[in-house]
Amino acid sequence: MTHTGKGLSRRGFVGLGAGVGVAALIGQSVFGAQAPCGALADGATFAYGTTGYGPEMDDAGLNPHANYSGWSCVRYGVGETLFKFSDSMEPESWLAESYEFTDDTTVVIKLREGVRFSSGRAMDAQAVKECLDDLLAVHDRAPLDLEIDAIEADGMTLAITTKRPKPALINYLCDPYGAIIDMQAGVSADNNVAGTGPFVATSVSDTEIALVANADYWGGTPSLANVSVRSITDGDTLTMALQAGQIDASYGLPYASYALFENPSFNIESCETSRAFFAQANYASPVMSDPAVRHALALGIDKEGFVEVLLNGRGAPAAGAFPSNFAFGNDTVSAPAYDPEEAKRVLEEAGWVDSDGDGVREKDGQRLHIVWLTYPGRQELPLLAESVQFSLGEIGFEVEVNCTANHTSIRTDTSAWDVYASALVTAPTGDPEYFFSATCVTDAPKNFGGYSNPDLDALAEQLSEEFDTGKRAELATQMQQVILDDDAYMFASHLTMGIVSRAGVSGIAPHPCDYYEVTAGLAVA
Amino acid sequence: MGKFIAKRLLQLIPILVGITFLSFALMQLAGGDYVTTMLENTGVAVTQEVIDARKAELGLDRPFIEQYLSWLAGLLHGDMGTSFVSGKDVFATFVQHLPATLLLTLSSVIATLVISVPLGVYSAIHHNKAADYIVRVTCFVGNSLPNFFVALLLIYVFALVLGWLPVISPMPTLGASGVDLTGLVLPTATLAIAMVSKYTRQIRAAVLEELGKPYVAAARSRGVAGRTVLFKSVLKSCMLLIVTLLALSIGDLLGGTAIVETIFMWDGVGKLAVDSITMRDYPMIQAYVVWMAIIYVFVNLVSDILYRALDPRVAQQEVKA
Amino acid sequence: MSRLSNATVRKMVVFAVLAVLLVLAALFAEHLCPYDPYAQNLREALQAPSEAHLLGTDRYGRDMLSRVIMGGQSSIASTLVCVAVVALIGTAVGVVAGWRAGVLDTLLMRTSDVFLAFPGLVFALAVAGVLGGGIQNAVIALCAIGWPKFARIARSQTLAVCDASFIQAARMQGTKGLALIVRHVLPNIAGPIVVCAVLDIGTMMMELAGLSYLGLGAQPPMAEWGSMMSDGRSMLQTAPWCVLAPGLAIFITVLVFNLLGDTLRDYLDPKKKGSAS
Repeated sequence: MTHTGKGLSRRGFVGLGAGVGVAALIGQSVFGAQAPCGALADGATFAYGTTGYGPEMDDAGLNPHANYSGWSCVRYGVGETLFKFSDSMEPESWLAESYEFTDDTTVVIKLREGVRFSSGRAMDAQAVKECLDDLLAVHDRAPLDLEIDAIEADGMTLAITTKRPKPALINYLCDPYGAIIDMQAGVSADNNVAGTGPFVATSVSDTEIALVANADYWGGTPSLANVSVRSITDGDTLTMALQAGQIDASYGLPYASYALFENPSFNIESCETSRAFFAQANYASPVMSDPAVRHALALGIDKEGFVEVLLNGRGAPAAGAFPSNFAFGNDTVSAPAYDPEEAKRVLEEAGWVDSDGDGVREKDGQRLHIVWLTYPGRQELPLLAESVQFSLGEIGFEVEVNCTANHTSIRTDTSAWDVYASALVTAPTGDPEYFFSATCVTDAPKNFGGYSNPDLDALAEQLSEEFDTGKRAELATQMQQVILDDDAYMFASHLTMGIVSRAGVSGIAPHPCDYYEVTAGLAVA
Repeated sequence: MGKFIAKRLLQLIPILVGITFLSFALMQLAGGDYVTTMLENTGVAVTQEVIDARKAELGLDRPFIEQYLSWLAGLLHGDMGTSFVSGKDVFATFVQHLPATLLLTLSSVIATLVISVPLGVYSAIHHNKAADYIVRVTCFVGNSLPNFFVALLLIYVFALVLGWLPVISPMPTLGASGVDLTGLVLPTATLAIAMVSKYTRQIRAAVLEELGKPYVAAARSRGVAGRTVLFKSVLKSCMLLIVTLLALSIGDLLGGTAIVETIFMWDGVGKLAVDSITMRDYPMIQAYVVWMAIIYVFVNLVSDILYRALDPRVAQQEVKA
Repeated sequence: MSRLSNATVRKMVVFAVLAVLLVLAALFAEHLCPYDPYAQNLREALQAPSEAHLLGTDRYGRDMLSRVIMGGQSSIASTLVCVAVVALIGTAVGVVAGWRAGVLDTLLMRTSDVFLAFPGLVFALAVAGVLGGGIQNAVIALCAIGWPKFARIARSQTLAVCDASFIQAARMQGTKGLALIVRHVLPNIAGPIVVCAVLDIGTMMMELAGLSYLGLGAQPPMAEWGSMMSDGRSMLQTAPWCVLAPGLAIFITVLVFNLLGDTLRDYLDPKKKGSAS
């Protein structure tokens, strides 16, 4: 019995061993050793892995007139806007050479000569007009942002008339939905378009974009012939793919992974963006309507610890809504720094004492219990919530964290939360007006806490009509100080965006506005 | 037989209605909707008008029952609607993702059978000896690790440390050098490890039970070779067990093991399901639920048929009950 | 007929003792933790295992050993509750279905079919959405999906027992209905159900971990093995103890309960020659 048993199973095991051996051989022959440094992962194609592309981000496809796909169009070098942002978020020329406001509601734009779409058509004012007309006709956000009344095209000059004075019009034209594409070539079935950028897409899907260099690019042919953009939603997979050399650069690594790339084999390019992680107080909540509580809460957020430890140093503690590289950024405003002793003192003075010794303060029978509502969609928010839960707990708060994907409906119910922590790009166009009009003025769309301060509303009115950028910056500073002094909004940090690439790769770096990634300058040494 | 099959297929209808209604209701109760969820992800503020306009476009502002009934009516016409997320036809998208899951299912099942049957038999034959213990311990280990952990470990060891296999699994391609299956290895291994651990133990137990039966000893004492006994009787009675296990596992696998597919970026229906649920893409979720119902009924039907074919006593029992 | 060997009984006792120890450790977790499992100390984050912290610290600077011990409480308790509930409900449904054949039987079995066909993932995510996250709701979700299996087993066991001679004998003695079920049916079907339940503990624990991986399950700052593994997976290469510690805990617990279930099956079902000596 044992003899035949061995025979049967020996055969089985030999078969198994052979199978594994064959698999190993196949693996070796196809993948062999790691790709040597300096060579591309995939033959002649630059492989770029990103967590930022795909239907979940609402930016699948390359059609700028659909949802947020304009971001993909511009990020991956297919399309360009009339103006682009410099590193300090000032509009500078791109497809347009210059602009001039002839009056409050009219701007004349002079286009760049010698630009062609990848379809072969030459770009002129007429082509731009066709593109923008289509944008205004089909897009959801653009018409509300731009408020364009009419566009006139004449040779290489464009005249845009707005319905009312729009000081930030040029800024809004830098938004990726304003990428100029050839409307005659239109949008293909797989959402590909004919743009003016350094790369042309040969195939587009929900998970991958194949790009080839545009030999007719007005800025000179890019040095890389092929680029492949791959959507990789799992952060750990992205990390390991980069380590294994399967991709040459990555966008969206988890914080914990950066330590693995701090060595000479990789470059880490970082920049501070205006994506802020901040909390807003619910004025309808009995606990939060007490200014002492709000002030103590602001004093109880350990921003340094959050950024240095939990975000592995990849962030910048925030005082105001805008990062330091803005003229109206962190350095121009003053906000409470982490000071637990001061927080305790403030609470004691206001009558919040821990009478029953359980570590949680009370006042008039009301426990200092708050519900901290946030969501897991951005990895930083749960980290902030857990850190704050502890640091506030030390001061005498009882923090209940509700971290749910369902926050979008819960935040509209003012009885269900006390503090709402979220992430928002506060100055997507480099202009301060957007943040206040969206989040802080009375009845703003993202003002979930019911905050209302007539001083702020008045300043916002002024801002909407002020054309001088210097004065706009001053107003922005004042307005931030108003909301900070009320402790209505507490800013924890700003996102430091990172792109990690293999050593030898250059020309790919993050930008404060998060619009530009693959550029003509992308090269491998 | 025909009547039996017809009766079972007829049961598909109440099950379908039941679970699609349940899933629709759950999604509604779960709150959130595609439009607000998706707009939130981009972190840019949008006015309520824009949100409302989009919702109306997708019919999300109608009452729940109306939405469900209109979906059901569409289904009866063979139209599963269009995905909120991609705007493409749901049925076409679903079918597009199916081959990847089918491939993974097939390879996992084959790998599992190839490994666990010989291993289970071997272990049973050598029960209580060293080899048996090693196999059993390995199986316990395989059973006790969460699959996402196994996946990450496998990637770490085989892709990073040893560099034999790619981290991201490319779909198998037909190239100049033949079929490139390297992308299939790690996902299959992850799934197979869990299944092999389960199957091997059960096969071992079943074989042991058979071997202990009087007829085996009798056959051996008559001089029938061990191998013959093994093949003819023991394995045949194990077929029942294997068929049951297979039915359950294939059902699970065809639903797409979402976690494994997500980690390996394997474009199958499991990953599609998770993404759709997160984004509240109702039409796609419903399609997935319908698919699961069909698999369930179909797989049970096939296994029941095989059962009867393999063991006539089962058919008699059914008549009796 | 029973060929129970001392070896089987010995093994069963050993594993049962281990299982009880685990449960006790879970019960008295607070007293066993060397540090407060929720005390953060950002300056000491991600430290490797050392004398001060036997299993190192996590990203918030919390002691891993304490968190693992505390996590045992939530993980083991949730799993046991889940399995108990599922076994009870499933058995009740199955016995009723098997006992009273006919329309009730068909109805119950069709309902269980619907739940079986329902993709567990969708259900769990939806329940989490409706009830909010949190470990209790994850348990509810798992319970809702898990009972049909027990119903099936209970039903087939009940059907098998229905015709048995001792049932006929009891009936002739005048025992009827509920008394019949409780005194004669249940004890005879209890064996396979208990075995299934114990073996299910391991599976449930893993499924709970799986739900945590997807972001459901325990909410911060609760210590629970599955969510700890999910939190730590990004640090597999930089701080492996964050994943390995809870992983090892899950592994050991599942192992003990699986071994217990196995030996229990050998003990209760003498036909099986699993450990014939």
